[in-house]
Amino acid sequence: MAEKIIRYIQQGKIKELDLEKEQLSPTTTVLNYLRSSPLHKGTKEGCAEGDCGACTVVLANRGDNGKLSYTAIDSCLVFLPMLHGKQLITVEDLTTSETSGAQLHPVQQSMVDCNGTQCGYCTPGFVMSLFALQKSENQPSQASIEDALTGNLCRCTGYRSILDAAKLACTPDHHPDQFELNESRTLSQLISLQNNASDLEINVDDQRYFRPVNLSEALSIKKKHPECIVFSGATDLALRVTKRHERLYDLLDIGGIDKLKTISKDNQLIRIGAGTSLEEIRNSVRKELPALCTMLDVFGSRQIRSLATLGGNIGSASPIGDTLPILFAYNASVELQSESETRIFPISEFITGYRQTAKRADELITAVIIPLPSKEDQVKAYKVSKRKDLDISTVSGGFRLRLENNVVSSITLAFGGMAAQTTCAKKAEEFLIGKIWNRENVMTAAAIINHFFSPLSDARSGAEFRRIVAGNLLIKFWNETASNA
Amino acid sequence: MKAPHHDSAITHVEGKSIYIDDIPVNELLLVGKVVYSTVSHANIISIDINEAQKVNGVHAIILAKDVPGENQMGPVIHDEPCLAENSVICIGQAIALIAAKDDETARKAAQLIRIEYKELDAILNLDQAIEKNNVLAPPRTMQRGDLDSGFDNSAHKLSGQLRTGAQEHWYLETQTCLCIPGEGKEMNVFSSTQHPSETQAIVAEVLGISKNEVVVETRRMGGAFGGKETQANHVAAWTALLANATGRPVKIRLFRDDDQKITGKRHPFIIDYTVGFTSEGELLAADITLNADAGCATDLSMAILERAMLHADSSYYVPSMKVTGKAFRTNLPSNTAFRGFGGPQGMAGMEQIIDHIARYLQLDPAVVRQRNFYGIKDRNVTHYGQTVEHNRLHTMYDQLFASSDYAKRKTAIAAFNTGNEFVKKGIAITPVKFGISFTTTFLNQAGALVNIYKDGSVLVNHGGTEMGQGLHTKIAQIAAAELGISLDAIKVNATNTSKVPNTSATAASAGTDLNGMAVKNAIDQLKERITKFAAEEFNRRNNDSVSLAENIEIKNGVVFDRNDAKQRSSDFATIIGLAYLHQVSLSTAGFYKTPDIGWDKQLGWGRPFNYYAFGMAVSEVSLDVLTGDVEHLRTEILHDVGDSINEAIDIGQVEGGYIQGLGWCTTEDIKYDVKGNLLNHSPDTYKLPGIRNIPKVFNVSLLQNAPNPRAIRKSKAVAEPPFMLALSTWLAIKDAIAATCENQQEPPLPIPATNEAIILAINKLKTTH
Repeated sequence: MAEKIIRYIQQGKIKELDLEKEQLSPTTTVLNYLRSSPLHKGTKEGCAEGDCGACTVVLANRGDNGKLSYTAIDSCLVFLPMLHGKQLITVEDLTTSETSGAQLHPVQQSMVDCNGTQCGYCTPGFVMSLFALQKSENQPSQASIEDALTGNLCRCTGYRSILDAAKLACTPDHHPDQFELNESRTLSQLISLQNNASDLEINVDDQRYFRPVNLSEALSIKKKHPECIVFSGATDLALRVTKRHERLYDLLDIGGIDKLKTISKDNQLIRIGAGTSLEEIRNSVRKELPALCTMLDVFGSRQIRSLATLGGNIGSASPIGDTLPILFAYNASVELQSESETRIFPISEFITGYRQTAKRADELITAVIIPLPSKEDQVKAYKVSKRKDLDISTVSGGFRLRLENNVVSSITLAFGGMAAQTTCAKKAEEFLIGKIWNRENVMTAAAIINHFFSPLSDARSGAEFRRIVAGNLLIKFWNETASNA
Repeated sequence: MKAPHHDSAITHVEGKSIYIDDIPVNELLLVGKVVYSTVSHANIISIDINEAQKVNGVHAIILAKDVPGENQMGPVIHDEPCLAENSVICIGQAIALIAAKDDETARKAAQLIRIEYKELDAILNLDQAIEKNNVLAPPRTMQRGDLDSGFDNSAHKLSGQLRTGAQEHWYLETQTCLCIPGEGKEMNVFSSTQHPSETQAIVAEVLGISKNEVVVETRRMGGAFGGKETQANHVAAWTALLANATGRPVKIRLFRDDDQKITGKRHPFIIDYTVGFTSEGELLAADITLNADAGCATDLSMAILERAMLHADSSYYVPSMKVTGKAFRTNLPSNTAFRGFGGPQGMAGMEQIIDHIARYLQLDPAVVRQRNFYGIKDRNVTHYGQTVEHNRLHTMYDQLFASSDYAKRKTAIAAFNTGNEFVKKGIAITPVKFGISFTTTFLNQAGALVNIYKDGSVLVNHGGTEMGQGLHTKIAQIAAAELGISLDAIKVNATNTSKVPNTSATAASAGTDLNGMAVKNAIDQLKERITKFAAEEFNRRNNDSVSLAENIEIKNGVVFDRNDAKQRSSDFATIIGLAYLHQVSLSTAGFYKTPDIGWDKQLGWGRPFNYYAFGMAVSEVSLDVLTGDVEHLRTEILHDVGDSINEAIDIGQVEGGYIQGLGWCTTEDIKYDVKGNLLNHSPDTYKLPGIRNIPKVFNVSLLQNAPNPRAIRKSKAVAEPPFMLALSTWLAIKDAIAATCENQQEPPLPIPATNEAIILAINKLKTTH
């Protein structure tokens, strides 16, 4: 029997939230809910689309090692039911009151000491990203610090002082904070929440929100309610609520299904559960699928990647879906399940048009299967965007090459951002097959690519740039793969 | 001594600083929404609000005809209706206002308002405006020397053009205002504004009431950068109209996309130049035309154009120079103040000229720059007649040239570029010389109100606003130092028009200069009273008349007679408590106006600036020639802030200014579609610098031992000047692009140098090679 009460931990207590009783929409974002209370004005809205990080809060959950794991997320993109079974930590929770007065958390004190705050509006978000970082890593590298903060924009400081604050905050010699002191209690609270977790079904007015914990239940819901919008991290879907102010009626949140979050590997392939977060994938398959990780390194921000899933990214079939070209290059397949059957499609057949896929209304994407490339194959991913991080591709490329005696025996040149869907530059591929992998042939192929596509001009760039740079990406690929480039 | 932290640092990190949207208001609060034009230029045929009014929870819908006062909100020229009546002149122009119980209701009502337009021809970019000569005001010129003879004497002559783009302020806190009606006609306005006095004036005007009925308070802004100098007035006027109409508190917080669509941006410029010079690269004559896209209304465009013209020399002496400034009207939101206020565009033009000359003569641009710096004793008068005093350019160039190892790196880069086809590096050194003062001379005034309470604590009010720049912190430091008591005993209050009236905007980098002096003036008066009283008190205690007011000092919170500090001393709080009992006034207003400035705007000649702030930067980049991707390898900055009042705050301003400039020069790109719709209306497609866009090596230092005799505590303004340090990055990118053609050609590189602009420039060099 599904229940309707959302249970999560905040400030040490289990909070029960009955949206039906409170007449709150299930697509109310955590940010809006927090800010509706006079006690939680610390979390700020900067953009309501996950592009600035001012609304960053931290979710704590039981990690694989049995300890608490802390994840920074953009609260503007999270619906309230997604808090179910987790601990929510906001900026107000970091300061402890002592007899001597308020005691700042080390990440807060470091921001003060390093002058990491000017106007202060982005500060709570930075503080929370730093908090998640400090709880996850001891003495993180510069790269790791930057990675943790790409999702937070500051318009005042120029960031140097914030980087200094991060270094200072993440030195290991701090006294245990309240979260560490309360860890066992929090863990037992989480365990009790999760042990008792059952499916959520919330009905408020004309809105219906399902959050099942089992795949079979999800498939059954999808069969009964094929009109349901399926999502997991909501990083894309939430924009319809926060930016376009749409009312979403039937929602199937598969983010509570642990079975969809597994990665399995054997000698032949890697199977990534559709609900696995991009951050988790990035941390798990770097050795086997380095080119996929190259792409994930510059996908959104850590806040976004911690929620966004591979299933979600391919399911939206966006012409610029950042992971699609490289999945084309890897010859990935998509696994679909319904109550009656499991179907598997090569990714190129799964995507059928502009935001169109082969998925039936009663199906869920359950996994992405990536055959491990052979040693002879060279696979690379490229992303061209105005800003390296937290920016969607203007053009992206996923390329795969096999050479025999420096002659091209097979090649895939998949591009995003160049057409209504991810598209391979077939003519250039055909031209290169059987040719020597040298400058002359590559330059000719680059010109073929340039003329092959008729991309759009839009907010990201003009068509001419897209055409030139698409061809250039092949040259870059050659330069990085040719033995004598 | 370590510089004190920003006075709000602790509440900032706790999430407890209160911005307008965080102020607790009672349950009567309504949400305000702006309904704006969706077409660029049209006559309004009809507006139907009937259906919208029927929506449950809608409390008021206001149109132009409902404005009780003057339907105007232009700050200088009254050419901006508060609500459009018969016609609209840009997308984003406000037409109707809605007050409703919540956002959702307001949005629902907004969708039901039917506006019928008859569309007219629109001018949607600067090129079209220039072609149609759609000028906003008559062109202005500034000239020194005879151009013809200058060009005649020149061995070489070059012409060219530079385009600079718009820039969105992207303050983290969007425009927000809360209005709470008081008794009678009173209106209490809590506004995120850089200019509370003007916000007060505009609110009074649209409501048709006198200014003494309106109180504007600004505790802090979540960033402003010029974007809340005039544009905040609009939101305040709209909010006040709704609060007035409903008699209830109303808040408008612009949704990010609406903020980006509605409010003005940095002015795009097209700069045309012809320059004459010697074979050594010495400038002899320059004829420069600055064309600015003002948008649909005047706003501050003429002052911005003026500052651009006043900075068209950058840091260089040009014996014969003519600058023509033209502002054009387009059907885009009215462009407005943004850090630098035209200065960046004016300076970019001249730096482009220097680069062009250097590449033409095959000289290192750094050499050409140094060769043309204003002189110390001669060659030191600008094209508008002001002598460049206390010129630090040469010292700073020498220091930075050495500390950045420029010469060696330049050679290493050349070698790298020879060996790499697809990655090129570039380096550039650029100066900043920025004039400090409002060029509208009368604005250079400020007020303060200093209250000392009976316990010896001090409350400082001044006309400046806090937007993160640390003004209140510096003011508190100034007050503590001038009064001789500890910083802990000083508090700077929210800016409030009922405390200090008739203030100027916190702008032109002059916040500390002006308000610091006004606070000092108030404290000087109070000190006179306190020292006089202390002398009397010491004499009373000793039953003599030995102590004289002129011998009384206040230091570290102790008031004493310097001739007998042991016997005749008392702590500050005690003296203050006694002074009160002896009926001494412990509160006073202060005032300041900048002396010895003034110029003839018509002639374009005189002394508009109190002094100049200087800076210098060296930037090195690495460019992926195939993708246009730029890596910021290293930037060294040396900046002149005089005797710094707070080094931590000043360094924060320099770093933040440079990075904001870096955004303008690289990734911040604004495009419109053919109907005038802004395409980059959210951070999804509008890209300001993130944490990985800052230079890998980023060394910022302040020029030491350089007191400024012309400002408070020998300091210098900071704020705007460092923005222009980023021109070094733009030119380093250009240097890298030029390496793709062995430096044989001047790359046609606009601002911003996006990856797109870079690839197109490289492509153009290829095709013309």
